[in-house]
Amino acid sequence: MYVIVIGAGKIGFYLTRALLSANHEVTLIERDAIAAAAAAEEFGSIVVTSDGTEPSVLEEAGAKRCDILVSTSGRDATNLTACQVAKLRFETTRTVAVVTDPDHVPLFRELGVDVTISTTELILSHVEEELTGGPFVHVLPMQGGSRGVVSIRAPDDSPVVGRTVSRLSLPEGTLLVAVVRKNGDLQPALADPEIAQGDEIVAITPPEKEDDLWRALTGEAKR
Amino acid sequence: MARRVMIVGCGRLGASVATELLERGDHVTILDTDAENFRRLRPHPRLKMRLGDGVSHETLRSAGIESAESFVAATGQDTTNALAAQSARVTFGVPNVVCRINDQVRSEMYKELGLTTVSPNQAVLELMLAAVGS
Repeated sequence: MYVIVIGAGKIGFYLTRALLSANHEVTLIERDAIAAAAAAEEFGSIVVTSDGTEPSVLEEAGAKRCDILVSTSGRDATNLTACQVAKLRFETTRTVAVVTDPDHVPLFRELGVDVTISTTELILSHVEEELTGGPFVHVLPMQGGSRGVVSIRAPDDSPVVGRTVSRLSLPEGTLLVAVVRKNGDLQPALADPEIAQGDEIVAITPPEKEDDLWRALTGEAKR
Repeated sequence: MARRVMIVGCGRLGASVATELLERGDHVTILDTDAENFRRLRPHPRLKMRLGDGVSHETLRSAGIESAESFVAATGQDTTNALAAQSARVTFGVPNVVCRINDQVRSEMYKELGLTTVSPNQAVLELMLAAVGS
């Protein structure tokens, strides 16, 4: 795959290293000359010292043929602009933005950013898992955000514990994909497994049905 | 009729827009991350100066964006203006959003997305070319 990474900060630097070692083609764009020089010392000529929000820079970097553009700068405004320019001017297939302010996540999604990565939300979801045992995790957005893969841990007192998958009433447009047991066993939904305490339930659902899905699987309103 | 206008960025451009709008009778709230920049403006009964980042939804909300009829993103940075303006438009539904964008390609792109964009560089360029003559 061909990946354009914007920002040679910690995230961009280690992401580039990981992508290269997995044999992907990468261009790393960094505006700051010092940070770019440090990255070039490690990665060589794939580093471009330039502003990754500039349409001409993205065009030269091959935004038209790239499979994924990942914007990792510490500024939300930079990441949004890079993703919007790639998407709207160069039809980049998939854009990923790091988001610092969690309030920006819904806006970025609405504006066409395919994947938003909010470090705050990621950490929060793990904290919530520790606190409540019932997190709602967004695994992957699909079809430009109109559907998403989500994972829900069934709480011990969930009304669905002891029921088989085929007997669950799920919101319209929602597909239950699989059940992952506490010990890591994967049960495909087609095999109609019985839900047990602590199972993680993986489903595909439109975002507007998430609250209904949560209620159906936990018996309580989503926070 | 007096409108409520929110301006992000109290540089030369933002401050001038604020001054003009106040003279026309509008209510103006202007935001900047640097208090020094407010020196460009004189106190006025219809002017509020707020220290804060215009891309933060929390800041925009507490500054009263929900009752603004117009929004002007006038900082020196295209990316900041684009995020502030799209927040005003999409998140808060401000009816009239004006955005300073220097880069021509991006300016066209935001126009297609429904923002009113103004490009100072392009405007000056056209005036200069007209002054030089063809």
